[in-house]
Amino acid sequence: MAGTIRAQYPATIRPIRINCTGRVTPSLIMRTIGKGADGVMIAG
Amino acid sequence: MLQSARTPGLNLYTYSELEDVEGFIGNFKVKIRRKARYVTNDCNGCGACFEVCPAFGYNEFNEGMDPRKAIYVSFAQAVPSLAQIDMDRCIRCELCTNACELEAIDFNQEDEIIELEVGSIIVATGWDEYIPETGYLGYNIYPNVITELQLERILAPNGPTIGHLVRPSDGKRPKRILFIQCVGSRDLNKNTYCSAGVCCMIAIKNTKLIKQHYPDTEIDVAYMDIRAAGKDYEEYFTASRKEGIRYIRTNISKLKDDPLTGNIKVIMQNTLRESLGLKEMEYDLVVLSASMMPAQGIGKIEKMLKLETSQDGFFKEFHSRLNPIDTKIPGIALAGVAQGPKSIAESIAHGRAAASSLARLMSKDKYRILLIRATVDKEKCAKCGLCELNCPYMAITINDDGAEVNEILCRGCGSCLANCPSEAITLRYYREPQYEKQIDAILEEI
Repeated sequence: MAGTIRAQYPATIRPIRINCTGRVTPSLIMRTIGKGADGVMIAG
Repeated sequence: MLQSARTPGLNLYTYSELEDVEGFIGNFKVKIRRKARYVTNDCNGCGACFEVCPAFGYNEFNEGMDPRKAIYVSFAQAVPSLAQIDMDRCIRCELCTNACELEAIDFNQEDEIIELEVGSIIVATGWDEYIPETGYLGYNIYPNVITELQLERILAPNGPTIGHLVRPSDGKRPKRILFIQCVGSRDLNKNTYCSAGVCCMIAIKNTKLIKQHYPDTEIDVAYMDIRAAGKDYEEYFTASRKEGIRYIRTNISKLKDDPLTGNIKVIMQNTLRESLGLKEMEYDLVVLSASMMPAQGIGKIEKMLKLETSQDGFFKEFHSRLNPIDTKIPGIALAGVAQGPKSIAESIAHGRAAASSLARLMSKDKYRILLIRATVDKEKCAKCGLCELNCPYMAITINDDGAEVNEILCRGCGSCLANCPSEAITLRYYREPQYEKQIDAILEEI
């Protein structure tokens, strides 16, 4: 959808491919934030 | 049907039910219950037993509109042409035993369970007509309100009236007929879906058929929208309008019958010509174009095959647009209305697509899987069973020595490892350190 409507997003967003949103563990999110990321978006 | 029955290597199990399914693509173990017919395969369907049988039942094939005997062939073209006994109706007089020259009647027959090993499964459960609740649009309280399938049987040459169009209340030929479309479909309180234009096309076909046989019949069709999408369908609709069938865009909420004549009075307003106002019309026969519903008993098959159904109750496909044929389980495909409402042409195309989709897998000796699969560290596994509970593909079983992943059923989604409290499960190529390295590398730039 975002692609077809030519939506723009900031270049500072970094996607990481995960097989399923169920795979995301709290420790991964905590590590990301702990290392200095402003936020984590889980999009499925 | 007859041709498939005669094809070598193709076994038909009619009057049978699925009992249990185990295994995975290439190695499904299926249990089938062959219900007792109380008639052996020696029967040639001659019908001598029907004539002597004194017990009657409703003929399900003709929507219960005419009687059949307790020993009967389900319908004239049934394959194989074997009689069966309806034990709820049978009075065990055993007159049929004497009438049968082939000695094919066996009152001691019992249900038989057979086990088969198959490589793949096609689910083709078909559909059932939506049965309106008693009183909805007069159904089941006014004898002259019938459903489309009942009309279909009345018009059929092998139906209860041998093809003569008569109405149920007095057996006279109806001169004014009203078809009501979208009964039970496109209705937020009933089924929200449209039956893919099938009821529209059946109604148009039947109006044309009636007009051909009895040109003096006045036919009105009360519709919301005529959905004649498909090759030649719109032309067919136009042809029926040219034949003098009136299409009225309206929404009918209530019908009333005249107890003296049995006629049905309907108040309606043509929403395309509002200046005409409300009009009361009188009809001899009202036909409800009821929607297509998932076949009854679909839930049992859903559980056995571990499939899912969509919100509308039909089986859920792999992807509604990109792959409407396969299911989430490799080796199980859908054909026809099992997946969603379809016309005959679409069902044939869908069935052939299902056959070729599975033939592509079955023609090879090997089944290739991606290596992205869950693996269990059995030393860490506490056998808590959370992974088994959360696996959407039923790929995990708990054994004595820990969780066991079936690598063919597993799709590598990872919900098991996110749920594992002892971190015993990992996904190949997507292990925790690999993610951690990715996160670290990305955040180094900042």
